[in-house]
Amino acid sequence: MAAPHSETLHFKTVGSVFLFSNRLAQIAHGSLSPDAEPRKGGISKELRVTDNNLNVFWCAEEARILRVSVGSFLDHLALVLETMQAFGPSETQ
Amino acid sequence: MTIVIGFEGSANKIGVGIVRDGAVLSNPRRTYITPPGQGRFSVETAKHHRACVLSVLKEALLQAGIQPADIDCVAFTKGPGMGGSVVAVAIVARTVAQLWKKPLLGVNHCIGHIEMGRLITGAANPTVLDCVETQRGVISYSERRYRIFGEAIDIAVGNCLDRFARVIKISNDPSPGYNIEQMAKKGSQFVELPYTVKGMDVSFSGILSYTEEMAHKMLGAGECTPEDLCFSLQETLFSMLVEVTERAMAHCGSREVLIVGGVGCNLLQEMMEVMCQERGAKLFATDERFCIDNGAMIAQAGWEMFRSGHVTSLEDSWVTQRFRTDEVEVTWRD
Repeated sequence: MAAPHSETLHFKTVGSVFLFSNRLAQIAHGSLSPDAEPRKGGISKELRVTDNNLNVFWCAEEARILRVSVGSFLDHLALVLETMQAFGPSETQ
Repeated sequence: MTIVIGFEGSANKIGVGIVRDGAVLSNPRRTYITPPGQGRFSVETAKHHRACVLSVLKEALLQAGIQPADIDCVAFTKGPGMGGSVVAVAIVARTVAQLWKKPLLGVNHCIGHIEMGRLITGAANPTVLDCVETQRGVISYSERRYRIFGEAIDIAVGNCLDRFARVIKISNDPSPGYNIEQMAKKGSQFVELPYTVKGMDVSFSGILSYTEEMAHKMLGAGECTPEDLCFSLQETLFSMLVEVTERAMAHCGSREVLIVGGVGCNLLQEMMEVMCQERGAKLFATDERFCIDNGAMIAQAGWEMFRSGHVTSLEDSWVTQRFRTDEVEVTWRD
């Protein structure tokens, strides 16, 4: 039996980050959504805000590609959160 | 009064600078230095920048003695540069711009060098030799664009120097180019290396592949010393740059040269000065505070751009590794 073609496989994952307010969730969205994925093809990522949550939806052709994208996103998210703690409104500190 | 904060992190330096109407209020910077023989790994450099950008930002505000509320605009390097590093710094710029409710402005890294060069030296309308590590070319302002008259068609002069330094394992501290220059001063024998000028353009990949192949053979056979190679490399590379700059000056009837970018220190300035004197032209150059990548140059370009009406929406604030100097409409000059 032939192995399924790799292009038919979709690795999906969803992440959700809770921020202290809708405004902060919008700010996180604004900081993290403008840049395209460095890799052309094989991965898509979408960010959406619902109330205080920043939701992230990934779809990738390979687990390895998904892992790289999620890892990179988490590094950047950490930077956004640290920036908010350092310079944001008092509830983030 | 207009105060602009600028974020720069496109190569191995991360800097945040603040300018107010032509005065640099603060300009702290950190440099990621790799061991000898190693290049700048993109992932590691980005990690370095993420780790220190916020403390550099705090330092910039403290040294300038201003509060976020005083800032009129947040400028950042949109490109060109190393992907992960540019993104990291842009993310912080976007976040503080939103937190502080200030307009955001994406700046071309090379234009940052040019505008800081113009501010510091007072050069009116110079032919610019842009020796930024990732870009390189001879630029002249004409009708709302920084027009590229000639450029390196393969690798930048800074890349060439960095990679040569790796071949003979020169230290990257403080920078490969600086160490090549120090060693070159002790060189005594000129070794013939490929000299490649093609009209207005220059090519450095040939000289680099030649030295990569021949360096170890020549050094092993005792035909020359590493100091001789450094001396010969600089003489050849910088002569090529002086030639194309002179050609651009003749083409434009220009009597001013401005060298910008991290490679544009010391020996290149000396060689360019000789050419300028022969032509009755004036050479402008900055010292290492401003010729090496820094945040204030982004702030200064941002200051010019903001006052002439540029802003960048969040959706358009994506960063790019390729961003030509002539893509920007220079609305702040006549």
